[in-house]
Amino acid sequence: MTSGPALVSILRQGDVLVASVHTALDDSQMLRFQHDLVRQIGEHRARGVIIDVAALDVIDSFASRTLQSIADISRLRGAATVIVGIQPDVAFAMVRLGMGIGELPTALDLEEGMVHLARVRDRARR
Amino acid sequence: MTPSAASDEPQLEAQESADIAGLVPLLQRIVTARVGQHPAAEDIIQETLARVLAAEDRIEPGMLEPYAITTVRNVIASMWRKDDVAARNQHRMHDPSESVEAAELLVASEEQLAMTEALARLTDRERQVLLAHEVSGLATQVLADEVGSTAGAVAAQLKRTRARLRVEYVLALEGTEPPTDRCRAVLLALSSADRRRQRELDSARHLLECDVCARLSEPLLDRAPERPDEVRVPIGADPDIVSARQAARELAVRAGFVGADLTMLATAVSEVARNIVRFAESGEVSIELLARPRAGIRVIARDTGPGISDIDRALQDGFSTYDGLGLGLPGARRLMDEFEVASAPGKGTTVSMTKWFEKKG
Repeated sequence: MTSGPALVSILRQGDVLVASVHTALDDSQMLRFQHDLVRQIGEHRARGVIIDVAALDVIDSFASRTLQSIADISRLRGAATVIVGIQPDVAFAMVRLGMGIGELPTALDLEEGMVHLARVRDRARR
Repeated sequence: MTPSAASDEPQLEAQESADIAGLVPLLQRIVTARVGQHPAAEDIIQETLARVLAAEDRIEPGMLEPYAITTVRNVIASMWRKDDVAARNQHRMHDPSESVEAAELLVASEEQLAMTEALARLTDRERQVLLAHEVSGLATQVLADEVGSTAGAVAAQLKRTRARLRVEYVLALEGTEPPTDRCRAVLLALSSADRRRQRELDSARHLLECDVCARLSEPLLDRAPERPDEVRVPIGADPDIVSARQAARELAVRAGFVGADLTMLATAVSEVARNIVRFAESGEVSIELLARPRAGIRVIARDTGPGISDIDRALQDGFSTYDGLGLGLPGARRLMDEFEVASAPGKGTTVSMTKWFEKKG
């Protein structure tokens, strides 16, 4: 187990989970994060998930794939996911890398992320 | 104690020693928090347990844990105090009359033997010039005049001879012969800090593959000047991927890279480092600043893995042999300016990629 400061924090705001990544994660930490988040969706009966990746200086193929998996798994567990805070340089590199992130809902920042989730749920209610 | 309780006593004792054994995880936590991975950590725990055991009769029921906690704190504090005193008094410990240890003498004689043998392996000519210069103290100019050469040529020759002597010395000291033909050449290139020759021989790859050279090269590399424009990161597990890309980023920042270039570089390093972890288990990523033909940064990822049988296919998008996006190599290629893969089945893989630094504005 890793000790020291938490790498990721998952907070609850109403029925939305806000997961902030604080530092660069390696592959196994990324998978642990995925596991923890999916578990907490069930525990808290969350309907929405916001993942804040503003602290990530690199989102490579593995990180993208993991974020994609989290979004897919959350959807199957009944929660909408939105990724927020992708840095401009990181976005640039992701496009160059050739990441297909079309399916992954994203928003500029936390605030926009909340708005996005609210809109998704409005649509679902109608 | 009442007579009626006497019969319960053995049972009670067993209960108490079980309690004491139960203290171990608690003590471990406390000790780790205070001294971390200190080599004395285990001793501290044992000492504490011994003291608690000795005081067992005096400890009131239920007070075992607090007693143990206080004791372990005291043990740690007295350890620090002792260390501190020792450090302050260390200069008094030196005894000039102390005789040289037998072991040291043995080492010295071994070293001498190795040096004799190393000298014997040089050619007569090399040995003569070296000894004349180093032992008799003849200037290079004098030596040059003797053979009708220039001082510069003699100095260069001396430099080569010293490099060879170092290689032969470490070989003699280890008492080994290098396992392959290439070993000597590689060690010589390392010993003389000849970077062009090292590249020609691909010495970094040889060191990954040859255990003997990897061991022997350490003292040879130690004397090479610190190179601020190069970083090598050994890759063996997941966390190394992050270290490699951070090292690349730091070096690139120093070279003047900014913004998206930095992120693209770090992402590409991440991809190639991951390939090493996934396919080869061990290897290294070396990152080097380039000044010519223009400012840039070169990343070379080497591994001793199974190699890639079809490089063209590995460079196609979506071709993945593990559960990935298949973006590793092709993605890294798009992120960098130059990209090259050399590999053959069973021979490991070398990915070299370069990013040029473009001054903006």
